[in-house]
Amino acid sequence: MTVYTFALKRSFRDKTNLLFLMFFPIAAIFLPSQAYWPSMPLGYQYFGVLILFVAIRLTGLLLEDRQKGVVKRVAAAPISHFRYLLENLLAFATIMLGQCVVVIVGGVLYGQELYQPFLLFILYLAFSVTAIALALAWNSFYRSRESSFLIFMSVIILISLLGGLLVPYEMLPEWIQKLSVVLPTYWLYKGIEWIVHGGDAIDFIFINSVLCVYSLLLLIVGSIRRIG
Amino acid sequence: MSSGLVTSWRFINVIFLFGMWFYQDTLEGSFLFIVLLALLASLRFRFQMPPWTIFIDIALCLVFTPFWSGAVYGFILPIFESVKTRKWVLFVFCLFFYLVLTNHSPLGYWLVFQAAFIGFLVTEWEKQRGVYTAEADRERHARYDLEQIRNELLEANKKTAHLAELSERNRIARALHDHLGHDLTGAKLAMDALQHLDGSEAEEMLNQVKKRIERSTLMLRDTVHDMTPVMRTGADRLTEIIEEFNHIHVEMKQAGDMNSIPVQYWSILEPCLKEALTNTVRHSDATNIIVQLDATEALVRLSIMDNGNRTNKVNEGSGLRHLKLRARSVGGSLSMSYQTGFLIVCVLPLTKGKEAEQ
Repeated sequence: MTVYTFALKRSFRDKTNLLFLMFFPIAAIFLPSQAYWPSMPLGYQYFGVLILFVAIRLTGLLLEDRQKGVVKRVAAAPISHFRYLLENLLAFATIMLGQCVVVIVGGVLYGQELYQPFLLFILYLAFSVTAIALALAWNSFYRSRESSFLIFMSVIILISLLGGLLVPYEMLPEWIQKLSVVLPTYWLYKGIEWIVHGGDAIDFIFINSVLCVYSLLLLIVGSIRRIG
Repeated sequence: MSSGLVTSWRFINVIFLFGMWFYQDTLEGSFLFIVLLALLASLRFRFQMPPWTIFIDIALCLVFTPFWSGAVYGFILPIFESVKTRKWVLFVFCLFFYLVLTNHSPLGYWLVFQAAFIGFLVTEWEKQRGVYTAEADRERHARYDLEQIRNELLEANKKTAHLAELSERNRIARALHDHLGHDLTGAKLAMDALQHLDGSEAEEMLNQVKKRIERSTLMLRDTVHDMTPVMRTGADRLTEIIEEFNHIHVEMKQAGDMNSIPVQYWSILEPCLKEALTNTVRHSDATNIIVQLDATEALVRLSIMDNGNRTNKVNEGSGLRHLKLRARSVGGSLSMSYQTGFLIVCVLPLTKGKEAEQ
């Protein structure tokens, strides 16, 4: 688990990362609830956006490895590409898990109205994995970490907007509403709605399974080995 | 190329299904069907999936068709895969379900036709490409073998030259020892005896010595005559080639000790000169050629330069390529330049040659 430990360490070494990983999640706990929209406290509605940012920051490390030729050296080392990727992704998932725990537990302790905190935690976790996979797949199309990150920032805003995280989903035109089903953010929004309003358990399982299938799909696309 | 086509075909069909889902007023649940098909397509894009995975596609289509009528068009993916992998039983199986469930719509027929057609085409292409790749590999292999054999032959040539030199040296030594040495020693002994003799015995001995020395002289002349080659060799041979060459004026310059050049090197330098002269006559409008042969302690350098004006660069012919290879086989090099006239420079190392002899 050397790669795993190292990935954890280097994730926290960067000052900006520290801001993303520690400060923002804690700040999200204290954002106030709104009267009409969203139904969740503001911080919890926007936490999905934060997850996407964190995912691209973390997976950017892999792109940096490729840029600096570390991947080439790893290819020559007695460690398989699969293992290298797996341990890195595991480390990222661990960090995201920690964040989700902090946010949920913090919210409960602070007294935010979270409806069903445990289910919300499950939903955030599923979405975190999807976000990592999405960022991984996104990175596989880029050569430099900076351009990948900058373009993905606008993509995050766009998909959060269309997915119903930033503005009320009902405000969007109907065809966009239907089209936004392809976005993982839409499924996070649906999950949050389900937690707030309740419904069939099967629906919640369905939402999470869509997120899981998405993660698998994006992982398969994103795990393509690019050495150069 | 065909793998890219296959991947894009799969994803285009997934997008087509999504489009259908988008336009038909259907439940969100069936969206999972499309994502699952996309997952299978991406798995096939990244990994070599066994044919039984086609059953997963079929099962998905069968499960989702009751919920969404458009899911039946998902069958074109397993149909494509079964044609691609040539699993005809599976193909018939899928086709049966597909035709029964689509109610003979023209769109359905068209979709299944294009899926089967592209699946068939792609496999044929791959098969053809496999045949061509195998053939190319075979040819490359044959070429490598040929090159190796040629190198071995060159090496053997070098060794033979060396052996011939050694055996010739042996023959000379034997001839000198057996005949000349024998007679001269006899003559020397007779001269020693002559000092102690006088009268008729001395005269007879003197005649004998005279005869022996005469015979030795004759033998020496014969041996030397045998040793002198009929053909001219070495630098003389190069001069001879130049003298025989009457088309263009050739200037020959020599420097250094020509005897230090190993015998086998002449078999490289000589064809090199011939090739250069022939090339000049055939491809150039030169009026003067300068041939320079230098032998230093470390290397032999033969440069042949003409004053021709060659605008079109002639490709390296097999003659020059072969010479290059021969030069390389003894650790030397052959290079050409077209900048001012045509220049060939052949450089062969001397130290290596000496080492090989030892």
